[in-house]
Amino acid sequence: MSALEQPSLSRRDLFSRVSGGILGAALTYLLSRDDCSGSRLFADEGAGAVHADLRPRPPHIPAKAKSVIHLFMNGGPSQMDLFDPKPMLDRHHGQSYFDRIAGEVENPQSAGALMRSPFRFARYGQCGMWVSEALPHLARQVDDIALIRSMYTTNLTHEPAIYLIQSGKMGPGRPTLGAWVVYGLGSENQNLPAYVVLDDPLGLPINGVENWQSGFLPPLFQGTRFRSTGSPVLNLRPDVARPEAVVQTERELVTRLDHLHRRQRPGQPTLDARIASYELAARMQVSATDALDISSETQATREMYGVGRAPTDSYARRCLIARRLVERGVRFVQLYINAQIWDNHTTLATDLKAACERTDQPIAALLRDLKQRGLLESTLVVWGGEFGRLPIAQLPADRDELKAGRDHNKNAFCTWMAGGGIKAGTIYGATDELGLAAVENRVSVPDWHATILHLLGLHHEQLFLEINGLRERLTGVNEAHVVHGILT
Amino acid sequence: MPRRRFLLPFLILALMTAGTVRHALLGADAQAKAQSTRPPPSFERDIKPLLQAKCTRCHGENIHRSDLDLSTPSGIRKGGESGAVIVPSKPDESLLFEKVHSGKMPPKKKDRLSDTEVDSIRRWIAAGAKFDSDENAKASAEALTQHDVIPIVLRHCAVCHGLHRKEANLDLRTKVAMLRGGKSGPAIVPGKPDESLVIKKVLAGQMPPRDRLVEVSVKPIDPDEIDTLARWIAAGAPEVVVEPDIAATTPDPLVTDKDRDFWAFRPPQPMTVPKVQNVKRVRNPIDAFVLQKLEDKGLTLAPQADRATLMRRVHFDLTGLPPEPVEVQAYLTDRAPDAYEKLIDRLLASSRYGERWGRYWLDLAGYADSEGKREQDLPRPHAWRYRDYVIRAFNADKPYARFLLEQLAGDELADYEKAPEIGQEIYDNLVATGFLRMAPDATWANITGFIPDRIEVIADEIEVLGSAVMGLTMKCARCHSHKFDPIPQRDYYRLAAVFKGALDEYDWLKPDIRPGIGPVSQDILTGRNLPHVTTAERQSWMEQNKKAPKDKQRPEPRIHALWDRGDPSPTYIYRRGDPQSIGRLVGPGVPSVLTDGKTPFEVKPPWPGAKQTGRRLAFARWLTQPDHPLTARVAVNRIWKHHFGNGLVKSLGNFGKSGTPPSHPELLDWLAREFVKQGWSVKSMHRLMMTSATYRQSSAVTADHTKHDPENSLYSRMPLVRLDAEALYDTLLLVAGRLDETPCGPGDAVKVRADGLATPAGTTKGWRRLIYVKMMRKQLPTHLENFDFPQMNPNCVERRDSTVAPQALHLMNNGMVQELAEHFAKRVSREAGTDPAKRVEGVYWIALSRLPTGEEKQIGMDALNKLTERWNKQLAAAGKTDREEATMKALTSYCHAIMNSASLLYVD
Repeated sequence: MSALEQPSLSRRDLFSRVSGGILGAALTYLLSRDDCSGSRLFADEGAGAVHADLRPRPPHIPAKAKSVIHLFMNGGPSQMDLFDPKPMLDRHHGQSYFDRIAGEVENPQSAGALMRSPFRFARYGQCGMWVSEALPHLARQVDDIALIRSMYTTNLTHEPAIYLIQSGKMGPGRPTLGAWVVYGLGSENQNLPAYVVLDDPLGLPINGVENWQSGFLPPLFQGTRFRSTGSPVLNLRPDVARPEAVVQTERELVTRLDHLHRRQRPGQPTLDARIASYELAARMQVSATDALDISSETQATREMYGVGRAPTDSYARRCLIARRLVERGVRFVQLYINAQIWDNHTTLATDLKAACERTDQPIAALLRDLKQRGLLESTLVVWGGEFGRLPIAQLPADRDELKAGRDHNKNAFCTWMAGGGIKAGTIYGATDELGLAAVENRVSVPDWHATILHLLGLHHEQLFLEINGLRERLTGVNEAHVVHGILT
Repeated sequence: MPRRRFLLPFLILALMTAGTVRHALLGADAQAKAQSTRPPPSFERDIKPLLQAKCTRCHGENIHRSDLDLSTPSGIRKGGESGAVIVPSKPDESLLFEKVHSGKMPPKKKDRLSDTEVDSIRRWIAAGAKFDSDENAKASAEALTQHDVIPIVLRHCAVCHGLHRKEANLDLRTKVAMLRGGKSGPAIVPGKPDESLVIKKVLAGQMPPRDRLVEVSVKPIDPDEIDTLARWIAAGAPEVVVEPDIAATTPDPLVTDKDRDFWAFRPPQPMTVPKVQNVKRVRNPIDAFVLQKLEDKGLTLAPQADRATLMRRVHFDLTGLPPEPVEVQAYLTDRAPDAYEKLIDRLLASSRYGERWGRYWLDLAGYADSEGKREQDLPRPHAWRYRDYVIRAFNADKPYARFLLEQLAGDELADYEKAPEIGQEIYDNLVATGFLRMAPDATWANITGFIPDRIEVIADEIEVLGSAVMGLTMKCARCHSHKFDPIPQRDYYRLAAVFKGALDEYDWLKPDIRPGIGPVSQDILTGRNLPHVTTAERQSWMEQNKKAPKDKQRPEPRIHALWDRGDPSPTYIYRRGDPQSIGRLVGPGVPSVLTDGKTPFEVKPPWPGAKQTGRRLAFARWLTQPDHPLTARVAVNRIWKHHFGNGLVKSLGNFGKSGTPPSHPELLDWLAREFVKQGWSVKSMHRLMMTSATYRQSSAVTADHTKHDPENSLYSRMPLVRLDAEALYDTLLLVAGRLDETPCGPGDAVKVRADGLATPAGTTKGWRRLIYVKMMRKQLPTHLENFDFPQMNPNCVERRDSTVAPQALHLMNNGMVQELAEHFAKRVSREAGTDPAKRVEGVYWIALSRLPTGEEKQIGMDALNKLTERWNKQLAAAGKTDREEATMKALTSYCHAIMNSASLLYVD
């Protein structure tokens, strides 16, 4: 096998669009071999019987959705200001309540009285879902989503609560939902990572890269960050620019030496894997660059998402890229927003609105776009954060009620899902009359995990890795129930 | 006595729990309605005989499997390890019903209950699970004791009214102390809950004070707890003497002599070295053990690797770095018969050795320079002393038993508080205890410093101990008796009791945060603080600070240690691992299966008059007995793994029943005994293993190997090994001539670029070895992440090797690698001159410790030629003609390619 065969022209054209290419024309040769099988790419299975490749794997039960777009709303979006109106709060606005919930408040010194929502609610769609005026775009898509109003979690601090919703346990070191999914199902595209993370160029979310870790699963299953600006993957492009002809010669040299090295060492599959990993690295550069190139989208599409306009541009790009990725067979795409825009401890009226303004239109557009392309049937879109917020106000040091926010609440929050297998237009579960705690059809985090896995055809008890004789699962030893009420 | 309820306006709490009720099974509901006219079953007549027939053999008076006794009403009410087994009126929430209904119990199919029997149990529970009148009354009247109350006090009161803080001069931890009371009089009046101050304060909502709950990490007291407290006082505050359950008070029915007979739980046995056919290949007993198994399969040892290969292998194995060209040449020309042995001795004496083998231990300890868990990944400014201690211990060949003793109980080896001077030995002892303070710890923050958070930290430390040193998956037994190994839940809590003098969830030493310094582990109120460094270092610090201007003052140097503080709180079993669900009282002890089950675990104060409990010291001495079943075996197995690729027991951290059995049990026992015989000297083990013929084998794979020993579990050859993250990084530095070998001290900074690329900042002389780079959990160098450096959660028992594209991208594109290639090229031109052939040879000598083959040399010279040509063109296009620059750039590209080559990354 020679790395110097004549490449095809169209591939060369494609390559020429890639700026700052590392691997020279040898790439184009590699691109002509798209059928290169995953088994070879990741032949190094390491110790034990854990599979460590991204070949597509059959689900346990027939799948309703093939891929997931997880819109992670880190920070804790306020349920009673977005999806779960509470007239009782209007009635009892200003009444003291702190004493009854002292142990459930993170910042007791700033606790205020019961606080009504600064937003008006109305019913939308065939299903008549209540939605706050802060989400005008999503309000028009409510017949596509199933809303869960009765989520609860077990910790009211960001880090542990985020670990829990991402990985099933309140600490670092466990595989995340996305890692479990690609471990269970592999990928439909061997030129792109199976689990792509689109984080905000402005900064990492809380818990940083641990949000997409693979824990004790092989590192192959961890999320790969694609940056929507600049180089999409760390080290994808050279830090120090070198002429392409030089890079090409160097690449050929490595290939020749490695083939020679392997020839002298028969029976070492790890050396095949190593050569394959250099080939994939080359292909990834082209594929990743192409998937991220939203300039090929129509003006209308870009406008629908809100690309090119403040304040939607950044999140709109990520939503649009997410669609391009699932279109290309990426299994799990996860979107993040910088900082904690939903963590409205103060000035909720303006800050929550601002958070909605950044995300509402792009998300509604994503649902519409997926639908019109027939992709929504095979894609599961999941929206939600790590916990909810309290019905009482949180006040700044000067106790100015105009600057009030809400503190964390682990006992109630909202999430929604749309797409493959979801009974659209459903409103599931309920909180008490203050929105303090989920009381009807309560959905735990493990229930939520089991439901997402179920839609992908995975059974949460059958998806495990045996470690030291223990079957480690996403839902752990917790009892978990698929939320059938939101399924078709 | 009628059960009194103290109704409280806890509306919201009730509201919060109401929703947890799961929908009852529809079928069961319908049935219940249909049969509602039938009288419910009677306990005496219907239920008791059923339980006796089917359940009490394992959950009875004598054998309490899962800590459950179903033979008496009180036993049934009490429940077991998994908590309550009946919830009156709610069969669907009752474990007893669930287990028999689902057919999970009784475990044997033939014993299963009939449908009618299952239904009887359901109806009995649905009707309120009433015991017949007398029994019922007896069960209700069952007296509460101080052990029902102490956990409540520990959870809600003791932080301010306990051992260290006695606010209002009040200590609530014992009945005597409650009666003595504080500033406002006795806390309790036995028989009169309404007159008892503690009840009054709690009911009035004054205690625990709501506005201070978060500050002291206490949860509000709940109505059930107040009720228990009041009922106990009403009953006259009865006390019973319950001896803590320690290994010998009752023979443990969950651990039988048959369990003790499992290979890993018996001391290593003396082994005779086997006789083999191919005697000529036997250099030491290891070879005989290995050859015996190979010959059984018709195999023999692979031929010896050539001297250059062997030399490179030995260098990487002992130092994590390749040999320098002069060293290779000297060795290849040394024809002395003991040249190889001398080489090993020289490398063992090199300080690079500790930097390599210390790193393996740091993985086991879960070493990091930050606390982790929270977003604000606070630095542990003193942790590096532990890293240096480990490196020094390996370099000094500190006997492994002593190494463990210091790490587990260094603070109990000498009275450091009263020592007139803290010398090197006391310092080392204290620094060593950092071993059990390496777990991620967010308890410094109010909101993540509650009792369950502290228990997580303790659980992590027990896991570190179990997986790193004992080869046991102890963590399973935290919530229930171990499913595979004979480790009952109480063994876990006995072990927790061993550590309680230092790791006490009710008397927690919270890392205290100082701006700019990070956590310093100090309890301001009682003045407990991290111990001092050596007197000499402290004096020098004080003098320097005296001279330095205010803004240049350095923080006080201290030791990130663990220390016994005396008088720990009692240890109760937590059912299902839940600190709200209190089981029986246990005392310190070791896993019963590792003892004869009769001899009690003996704890003495470490020195006369010591306030320290001496528990960890007793434990450490037990662990390091010469014939301990696990300690030596687990250690030699790890050393073996690092030399031979596979452990003799493949599951390095699990020697229990669910681990993998040893491939060569005789060899493992022989090595374990040899290790102890050689004074627990790790270096002796290296010598022994590395001078064997088994170690000197070639790594070439033959058809016979693939057929008869595909996994190499018989050691029919040596493995081809990929350099790990540290060896690769250090090697690139050494090859480029940019390795700064300054040892020890605080870790070097890591720069993080806006896109997340994290790179060690380096020093004026280049970069130090990776072990000296600061290991902030959330800012690990990208190189480490790409090359499988593990997340320490809490530790890493065995690293995995992956072969993925980001590694290729890193080596091809990373700026630091490119910079090192430039340095490498300069070094080559300095050492090999300008002749292209000499340059190619130089590159091979430096990077690969050998000469290129004819083919490689040709490829190299062609490449240099072509690259020069390319660079010339490039420079010409830019209007420059500089032959020399083009040649130099070509050489850099060539060096960069070699740094990317499989020949560098893999060791034969």
